[in-house]
Amino acid sequence: MYRQGAGDFKYYVGINSLAQIATRHDRVCVLNILGGESSEVTPVGHAWSGGNVVFGTSPGRRGQVLETPIGNIPVYNSVREGLDDGHRFNCGVVYLPPAAARDGVAELIRVNPELKKIFIITEKIAVHDAREIRAMGQQHGIDIFGANCLGVADAWNQVRIGGALGGDNPSDTLRRGSIAVLSNSGGFTTTIAQYLRMAGWGTTTLVSSGKDVYIHYAAPEFAFALANDARSKAAVLYCEPGGYYERDAEFTKPVVACVVGRWKSKLTRAVGHAGAMAGGEDDAAAKERWFMDKFGVDGIYTPERPVFSAKGAVVTNIAHIPAALTAVMRANATLPDFEPEGTMELKPWFGSGMGLSLPPQLDVPVVEAMAPYGSQIAALAKQVGAVFPRASMKDTSGASQLDPATQVASLHGMRVLDAAGLPLEANVALALLHEPGGDNDRKLVAVAVGACLNLHGDPALAAAEAARAAGSAPNAVLAAALTIAGPRRAETARNIAAAFVERFAAAGLRDALSADFDCSALADDAEFTALVRAPSADARAEAMLAGLAARGAQSAFVRFLQQLDGPVSADAVLAAITTTLGWGPLMRKRVSRLTVECLPWWMQLIGAMIGASAPAAAHEAGSFCGVGEAELLGEASLTELACRALLGRAPAEADLFALQTLIGIMLTNGPGTISAQGAKGAVSADGPEVPQRVQLNKALVGFLSHTGYAHGGNGFEGVQFLIEQFRDTGLDDPAAANGIDVAALARRCAEDYANYKAARRAAGSAELRKIPGVNHPVFKDRPVNLDPREVFIRELMSARGEANVFHDFYHALVHALHEAGVSRTVYCVNIDAVIAALLLRLTWQPWRAGEVGEAALESAAFTLFLYARMLGCAAEIDDHLNRGRNMDTRTPASKCRFVS
Amino acid sequence: MNVNGMKYGAHLLRFADFPTPEILGSDASEEEIRDLIERHGAVFVKPVFKGGVGKKGKAGLIGRAKDLKTALAEKERLYFVEHRHGNQVSKSNGVTFEAAVPAEHEIYFSITDSTEFRAPTMTLTHMGGMDIEELDKSLVARVPFDPLTGLKAFVVANALADIGAPKQVISPLVQHLPRLWELYHDFGMTTLELNPIRMRPDRRGRLTPVACDFKCGFDRDDPRWHRLNLPLHLFATDYSDFEQEINQLRTHQGQSDVYVINEGGTILAPTFGGGANSLVTEMLGDDAIISSDFGGNPPYEKMKTVASICFKHWLRQSNVLFIIGGKSNNTDIFETFRAMSDALREHFASHGPTPLYVVAGRGGPNLVRGLGVLRDTCEALGLPYRLFGFDSAMSEVVDYAREANEWMKAGGRDAVAQRLRIAPAASAA
Repeated sequence: MYRQGAGDFKYYVGINSLAQIATRHDRVCVLNILGGESSEVTPVGHAWSGGNVVFGTSPGRRGQVLETPIGNIPVYNSVREGLDDGHRFNCGVVYLPPAAARDGVAELIRVNPELKKIFIITEKIAVHDAREIRAMGQQHGIDIFGANCLGVADAWNQVRIGGALGGDNPSDTLRRGSIAVLSNSGGFTTTIAQYLRMAGWGTTTLVSSGKDVYIHYAAPEFAFALANDARSKAAVLYCEPGGYYERDAEFTKPVVACVVGRWKSKLTRAVGHAGAMAGGEDDAAAKERWFMDKFGVDGIYTPERPVFSAKGAVVTNIAHIPAALTAVMRANATLPDFEPEGTMELKPWFGSGMGLSLPPQLDVPVVEAMAPYGSQIAALAKQVGAVFPRASMKDTSGASQLDPATQVASLHGMRVLDAAGLPLEANVALALLHEPGGDNDRKLVAVAVGACLNLHGDPALAAAEAARAAGSAPNAVLAAALTIAGPRRAETARNIAAAFVERFAAAGLRDALSADFDCSALADDAEFTALVRAPSADARAEAMLAGLAARGAQSAFVRFLQQLDGPVSADAVLAAITTTLGWGPLMRKRVSRLTVECLPWWMQLIGAMIGASAPAAAHEAGSFCGVGEAELLGEASLTELACRALLGRAPAEADLFALQTLIGIMLTNGPGTISAQGAKGAVSADGPEVPQRVQLNKALVGFLSHTGYAHGGNGFEGVQFLIEQFRDTGLDDPAAANGIDVAALARRCAEDYANYKAARRAAGSAELRKIPGVNHPVFKDRPVNLDPREVFIRELMSARGEANVFHDFYHALVHALHEAGVSRTVYCVNIDAVIAALLLRLTWQPWRAGEVGEAALESAAFTLFLYARMLGCAAEIDDHLNRGRNMDTRTPASKCRFVS
Repeated sequence: MNVNGMKYGAHLLRFADFPTPEILGSDASEEEIRDLIERHGAVFVKPVFKGGVGKKGKAGLIGRAKDLKTALAEKERLYFVEHRHGNQVSKSNGVTFEAAVPAEHEIYFSITDSTEFRAPTMTLTHMGGMDIEELDKSLVARVPFDPLTGLKAFVVANALADIGAPKQVISPLVQHLPRLWELYHDFGMTTLELNPIRMRPDRRGRLTPVACDFKCGFDRDDPRWHRLNLPLHLFATDYSDFEQEINQLRTHQGQSDVYVINEGGTILAPTFGGGANSLVTEMLGDDAIISSDFGGNPPYEKMKTVASICFKHWLRQSNVLFIIGGKSNNTDIFETFRAMSDALREHFASHGPTPLYVVAGRGGPNLVRGLGVLRDTCEALGLPYRLFGFDSAMSEVVDYAREANEWMKAGGRDAVAQRLRIAPAASAA
């Protein structure tokens, strides 16, 4: 059943000395070399060992290579192919999945007559296979290590075979010394070596034995090889319950045995290591006793009660290993291999009590970490902003979500209903910075976007105008303008923003509004200041600075620009404004650095979009929609300017409220909407994994191209319906509906509809025209139904004392429909009705006066939707840019259908 | 994953054509039981336990009946009987009625993988029916054999000769016992024990071995047992809902082993590595809620799912979230910590904040980035924390976590709750 090898074991053992386990002469073949684990750890081991892997296998991948720092390792389909190609090896490493490990061992043994050692890294191998593996190794005289181990390493030979002992930088842990290690735990093999090193002990050979039921290279043969290894003066064993391996080991050199798992006898099932489950006489207590008998001691070594002999000591805590070893070795008149490299006491690398009063034993001060970690932590401190994991973002969003119960969407955690109460500036901040910001932020947004509204002399305006003249819908008109606002236009401001983040973070700025932050050192940074300076006075920059001053906006960045001698560019002012906006969220890791660097471009795009929605005639040198530059930058709100662009007139207070409310409610409807899908698809196609290449303007075009008469333009249906109802009423002011009997109007409408319905029925038609703005698939089935979004807006309006006859009409209508027998229950007035009522409220008077036609009304309704969704989609685009993967929105062919 | 008793044992032994006594289940009618008693003279009434349960005979949990009345009385006694063996408490659910097998000889037979021989090993004695540990070693044969050829007839014959077994039992055992190897090896078992096998004489005095009790253990990592079509509920009692949820993620890439230690514990300790698991469960004792090993370089998604499940089940009652492992060789600390941090953040977002002290001790690739992510998460969520590298002794870090737990119990939890602006009532552990 076995061949006699070294020693007088009742089974085959080939290794005579620990020095033979991992040598510089060993040549290695790795099975499944391109697998997930191997492809990470094999290159490290190969490089550290001077290139010991001759080839690897991976069926079907012949011709590929595994790249390593010291050259490529060839890959073959099978072991035979590698040998046929002239490679020779004596060590096989198995990284195959559990079901294939046994066959891999058979392949190695049968195909290569020169094989001497196999290292099995695979875990969860069936006991069935393990017993056959054992038998094969015994029959053919092969030493097997593992399975479920992390291979072996030799600190003297600087060789590691299989697995990952020492981690990604083995020399950090494995320092040449006099102690051999045998451990049931792969992780602890490295940890113990680390602990020993801190106490001045280096290592010789380290064997991670694994802890399956079958341990192929175990304590008895380790003890034998330890005795024959002149380099090793002593050994550390780490043992878990289960198995009689340690009992049968005969040690001739001092040993510290760490036996753990007394507590595990309470468990009824193995956790972690399959074999670490004591069946009876091989539990942790038994193992402690075996070692105590071997060492002639009567207790466990602890710092309080150091029990040891010259033969060894037993510990139950790996932290006690170094002290126990030092004590045992002193009894053998042997000093540590080198000066201790540190202590094992508590050294927090990071910590905070969050302002709580902690007791002294918990309030351990944070210390500087050992090299090289200390410098890594210092570098980490320089890293600002959030880092989001990349994943497929198809139909997924980190920005918006729709609550299925209430049908209320939210953007960055804020319900659109709440967003409806915020000015446009705050919703710009919400979309891009994940929070609506404060008063100062609104001033900054107003100037940044305001400065980009006027497109006088800009080809983007000509493009928009040409598209409009050709009969394009508002979305296509705006898209024409945006295609021209490409990356190069934003490049300088973006670079300046990046430099601001870099320099001011390094300088330790925490509060971007700080009035006393000392930036004089940055002013001496010639490279930096060259970036922000303008060759001559930049009128636009000056106007923006004046606007900021007029509004009393605070910014450490702007202050820095103002402190410089000489003129600065408009790009620099824009970047200073946006970096101020982004600084708080960036420092709180709410947004990424990428997002903050993109902000100047976003301001340009938002400005261009609102700007281009106004006809070319509204853009004049020095004024936009009749508002002069000084007022535009120093006073006007963005809501007001958008209102002017949309309506072509100075808005009244109620108009502003309607516009603001509409923009808030229509911000988003979750990532599933067509507009969001278009925006996300555009980012996905550019490839967000290289975010610098993603064209934000094109992404907005993606959103625009995914809106249309059915999605976005449909707000007009409700408007049309209301016009029909009110056309002949002589209504002048929708806010003061004097003399109009809304209830009667609603009754008439309901009766008309009931008659229409009856007629259709009589004609046998199932297709019924629906009344826009009433009923909802979720909010139904109650005697009286309410759409919570509509309720919210109604309450908001009544709190402000706002009246809207169209809205009132809708309420009368749902009751009238019920009374007329059209509906079983009282339908809800849905959110579309609210939108239509508000829209018509905005445009009723010019329409009545004959100043605008129905086409213009429709265009205004559509454009307003685009304003709102522009912000929602900007949030989606920025989110996808930060989190998405290249082409992640595609649908696999298998899920696509063909119809004929 | 153990099966014991003849209810399923008889079913399994059929795969090896090994004779068993006639058996009736709990649902047997009185006529059937009376008939069985009449034909065999007596029946054994045995409780049906799930899992591995030993020493039933010693505990008086095997009833013997020679008439229907006694049989029914025993059924009533044993149907839901509780049995304590070591740390395990099992509750029976049902009984079997097993025909008595009159015999002169009782045999003990088992196959298991011995760590002494590092081979499958047969244990055999003709002095069966009693505790094998109590027998003189010369009467017990323990024989390792080659798994590539299996348990051969000559191995059995030699063993029986060595222990001086009576001549008449040798031939039938040599014929029947080797078949059990097929059952053991081909269906993913790690132990198989028949005790006693009673040698039933036929009319001509020839003996047939009849297995009168059955125990086996299956290897969780070996899918071969699926071939037996055993009902899954047989093993289901081993696992809590939480464990089952985690076990569904069990693949060879990345461990996901968990065991609920104390449902009332207050330290939630996701642990990395089998070694760390042993150390940590040992030191935390009953403060720990679970014993776990999530090492083996789990990918981000899996780690996040595992962490989410842990948080869902246990975070509310936890005082300390304690992430602990040694200096990892391969497990990417950034990936695993990022996954756990994201899961924590999401848990707070969906379930609301809960007072927590975060302690971590770890080493390995991308360590600083990993700890950095956890720090950022704690800062963002407003949780007190201390994060240690591998240069602090793991046991010291465990002690720190215990100190934190004590402080949380003694008013710290309320203080953290206040910091998080949540009502103390909602924070009660």
